[in-house]
Amino acid sequence: MRNVLALGMALAVVCMVVAPDFGHAAGILRIAQNASDVGSLDPHFATTTQDRSLVDMVFNGLVRYKPGDGSVFEPDLATSLPTPRVVDGKQVWTFSLRKGVMCHPTTGVPSYPLTSEDVVYSLQKSADKNRSAYAADYTGMTVEAPDAQTVKITLDKPLSPILFFAKVANYSGGFIVCKKAAEKLGPDGMKTRPVGTGPFMFKSYSPQERVQLVANPAYFRGKPQLDGVDFRYMPDISSRELALRNGQLDVINGVPDKAWVDKMKGVSGVKVDVFGVGEVAILHLQTTAPPLDKLEVRKAIAHALDRDEFVALFGPGIGENVYSPVPVKFLAGGLTREELAAKGLDYKMDRERAKKLLADAGFPNGFSLEMVTSEMTGYRVLYESMQAQLAKVGIKANVKVVDHSSFHSMIRKDANPLVIYIAWRPNADIYFTQFLHSDSIVVTGKKPNTNFSHYNKIDGLIEQARNETDQAKQVALWKEAQIKALEDMVVYPISYQNQVYARSNAVDYGHELISVLALYPGITEKTRLTK
Amino acid sequence: MLKYVAQRLILSIPVFLGVATIVFLVVRVIPGDPAVASLGDYASKEAVDALRQRMGLNESLPVQYVRFLGSLVQGDLGKSMITGSSIRDEIMHALPYTLELTVLAIIIGTLLGIPVGVYTAIRRNRMADYIGRILSLTGLSVPAFYLGILLILLLAIQFRWLPAVGGGGMDDLKENVSHLILPALTLGLVMTASVARLSRSAMLNVLRQDYVRTARAKGLKERVVHLRHALRSALIPIVSVTGIWAVSLIGDSVTVEVVFARPGLGKMMVGAIMQRDYTALQSIMVVYTGFVVVINLMIDLIYGWVDPRIRH
Amino acid sequence: MGAEGIPAKISSERRRLWRTFLRNRAAVVGLVLAILVTILSVAAPLFTSHDPLAQDARSRLQPPDQTHLLGRDTFGRDLFARVLFAGRISLLVGVCSVLLGGVIGSTLGLVAGYTGGKIENVIMRFVDTMMAFPSLLLGLLVLAVLGPGLFKMILAIGLMLSPAFARVMHGSALSLKKREFVEGARSVGAGPARIVALHILPNVMGEVVVLGSLWTASAIRIEANLSFIGLGVSPPTPTWGNMIRDGTPHLLNAPFLSVFPGLAILVAVLAFNLLGDGLRDVLDPHLREY
Repeated sequence: MRNVLALGMALAVVCMVVAPDFGHAAGILRIAQNASDVGSLDPHFATTTQDRSLVDMVFNGLVRYKPGDGSVFEPDLATSLPTPRVVDGKQVWTFSLRKGVMCHPTTGVPSYPLTSEDVVYSLQKSADKNRSAYAADYTGMTVEAPDAQTVKITLDKPLSPILFFAKVANYSGGFIVCKKAAEKLGPDGMKTRPVGTGPFMFKSYSPQERVQLVANPAYFRGKPQLDGVDFRYMPDISSRELALRNGQLDVINGVPDKAWVDKMKGVSGVKVDVFGVGEVAILHLQTTAPPLDKLEVRKAIAHALDRDEFVALFGPGIGENVYSPVPVKFLAGGLTREELAAKGLDYKMDRERAKKLLADAGFPNGFSLEMVTSEMTGYRVLYESMQAQLAKVGIKANVKVVDHSSFHSMIRKDANPLVIYIAWRPNADIYFTQFLHSDSIVVTGKKPNTNFSHYNKIDGLIEQARNETDQAKQVALWKEAQIKALEDMVVYPISYQNQVYARSNAVDYGHELISVLALYPGITEKTRLTK
Repeated sequence: MLKYVAQRLILSIPVFLGVATIVFLVVRVIPGDPAVASLGDYASKEAVDALRQRMGLNESLPVQYVRFLGSLVQGDLGKSMITGSSIRDEIMHALPYTLELTVLAIIIGTLLGIPVGVYTAIRRNRMADYIGRILSLTGLSVPAFYLGILLILLLAIQFRWLPAVGGGGMDDLKENVSHLILPALTLGLVMTASVARLSRSAMLNVLRQDYVRTARAKGLKERVVHLRHALRSALIPIVSVTGIWAVSLIGDSVTVEVVFARPGLGKMMVGAIMQRDYTALQSIMVVYTGFVVVINLMIDLIYGWVDPRIRH
Repeated sequence: MGAEGIPAKISSERRRLWRTFLRNRAAVVGLVLAILVTILSVAAPLFTSHDPLAQDARSRLQPPDQTHLLGRDTFGRDLFARVLFAGRISLLVGVCSVLLGGVIGSTLGLVAGYTGGKIENVIMRFVDTMMAFPSLLLGLLVLAVLGPGLFKMILAIGLMLSPAFARVMHGSALSLKKREFVEGARSVGAGPARIVALHILPNVMGEVVVLGSLWTASAIRIEANLSFIGLGVSPPTPTWGNMIRDGTPHLLNAPFLSVFPGLAILVAVLAFNLLGDGLRDVLDPHLREY
């Protein structure tokens, strides 16, 4: 009898403890990203998706991408988008700053109004290779503060508005940090304590678990509707999905997989958003690695691959074919399939033709290649599929899986004759500069970056386009450059993948979701929870 | 007793040093670069070089080693190369989660395992014994993460009884415990299997011994004979091997932490390996070694207390 | 002892052992399962007409049906074929790493036990340190350093297993070297190598076989753990561990991707555990469990 009583009490305790906890502090949005921890919350080092989305909520730029539509620039810290003047042969952009923008308070530094001094400090930091990962984008720029509310930027070489505004937008190096806080915190402090001017302020960081943000009541666009954001790190999709379904999370980073999207659409109380910008997967062919130094071999590889097979891995709607390295759907300067088909550069799958090209080049029985892939699903899936496809024309790809960081290290040391690289860059010039300009050639370039193909034949076109201020002429030059690259088959654009996020019905982002550069839905002062 | 403890602690210092040095070297042999890991997609050579300089990676190996030892002696576990935050803080944050998981798993394992093992030993070769042995063999054979997946599928998905998510935080007891149950159950069941098998064979060994027959000859009730005399002797090997299993539990807890997305030392370790965070890796390994040394010491002490023959 | 008498004695001894083994039902089940697993894996092409590497992205994640008994994976590959072929890797890793660890560990242990003195001390201190360490972490580090690959996986797991062998062999050597026949051999002037090879080794064979089977089970489990974390064999080669890993993102909509390979691991590990247990009961019932 006593035993039964004890058992009963134990069960009661267990039930009390186990009852699911649906409550959450009203007005705090709980979002989980596919990552295990912070990389860096210093916006000039925040290169990963999860970091970009977080700093997007904490910082502003002189201009910003319109929430939900990354193809439109709007003023942010500046009062309007200036038109450039030419002074002493140089292009000058002058910004007027809003009044009353307050920097977030932090330990040892109370809140204070942002002035041009902070803007100058921040842009100089972005240009400093010791304090920014994007320093290369800010060379040739002089930033001055004629008065507290005015910022004057002088460029050595002129730029079109698309290219210039991208540098001062709320993205990458354009985020404006608060000088006093930055100096107080130092570079290490800034990694885990972001202090900006945005709608949300940093509250706390639990390593490998979460960052808590609290609403900024003094935000210049108005007090945010949300009380705060609970930003969680959960690298396991099943956990994220379960938590969303159980009501423990409001927004999750989903899986770029149509099967998953379809399944989630059937779950009550949950909505799925699929939107741009699409990260583009491009295959780079190393022109200095035999037998890829032969044009026929590279063309054979291009014809051996089937874009539809790659896209099928993710499902229609999640990804789409891309025929030019600059994705025409999101950026000016891209080329459509029709445009390229007209020139015979759409490289349709044709395995018979591929085999013939290989035979002509002296490889009737194919050959083998050694390469590595990252263990991250996005890359691994593409490399495995490519491996299977190339096998059909006799090319044997031996793929080793290494961790993500080793992958990035090794491909920058020419470990792969074939490099599939997935990236989003905010405009065509950055794509060209980093992937196709000879300065960026890995290992041997003047400023090695990600030119895996070792291509050096369109430097002139790239530089000409960069400094062309007429938009139409600029686009034409970019197109010409891509056509040349495709004729030489140094890059085979595969596909782009959309962003996939799921949310509970109660979440209203406050804007339409077409494309967001920070690769997440965008949480602003207008975002709210309707329940 | 105190002298024994002190002796053992002193003996473990060279072990510490040895492990620390090995880890220091091994970690630097691993291919990959923390600077590249940190910059990821934007790792242009210029940015990587600048970051390497700041991380102190360009100094010579002996300099780095001396610095490493020096900070270790001061108890400074350094700063993470990736996030810049104090590793000691990060470890202190993750440690309670790993501790509560391991402790609860050990408790479940021993509370379930010992009785089951002893019972099947007493009822040797009967139905209960066969069932018990098959179950514990199954428990030994299943990988911990697979059991975790099955439990998630069943208890968190099919019947929405428990969360499958995360750690639950340390402030709210209810949250914390509800997130603890499934992972602890997973590890606990796996441990139950081995403890049960162990207890069974230890008990069987003891039941064969002479002095048990003597006790039986005295006419004490069968049950008392079993429990009092046999159990106490059986406890000795059980305790010592429980210690070994506790240590290997740490290994299984890594995969369980990954499956349940729980913060913890194991997950930190895997993360540090994946990100090439040398400083964090070194420090975590040293902490683990410390654990292992302490656990072994405790086992020896309990061993000595339980078995009067060993005590000096 | 007449030469003719020995064969008869040995074969009747063997038959006795065999009969004892057969009486242990669990052990028989283990043996049957182990043979089954081995045949299915080694002769995999006989049991399936599908190519485990053939992709068909458009049919990915199809649930089990008549042509594809266990369904298809994220690349549209046949799961049944992959489970069978993965068995080859898991078995290969299991057996080879145990052989490697067994040889290394036993040599160390026997040498330490028989030689004694300073050498014994050094070796056993080293073994103790290694044993005190969570083996999975050791394996993680080794693989992180060495990189991916089948042989490296075998090496890593072999290293992880060797301390256990060393300890057991050390204990056996210690107890055996005091026995009369060893004293006798030594007094006759036999060298240490000869003694170890001719006298000690045959007597520990029983233990070695039992340990071998049990540790094969462990090795298969360890391989699954390491593949699950993401280290080990390169694509597109399937192993049960990396199949479970690939299936985890699809746990909610395609659980069969993870469930079936997991079952395969369970059966294989169970088989070798049962077999090892049975062998132990037959060959050396007094062998300590641990």
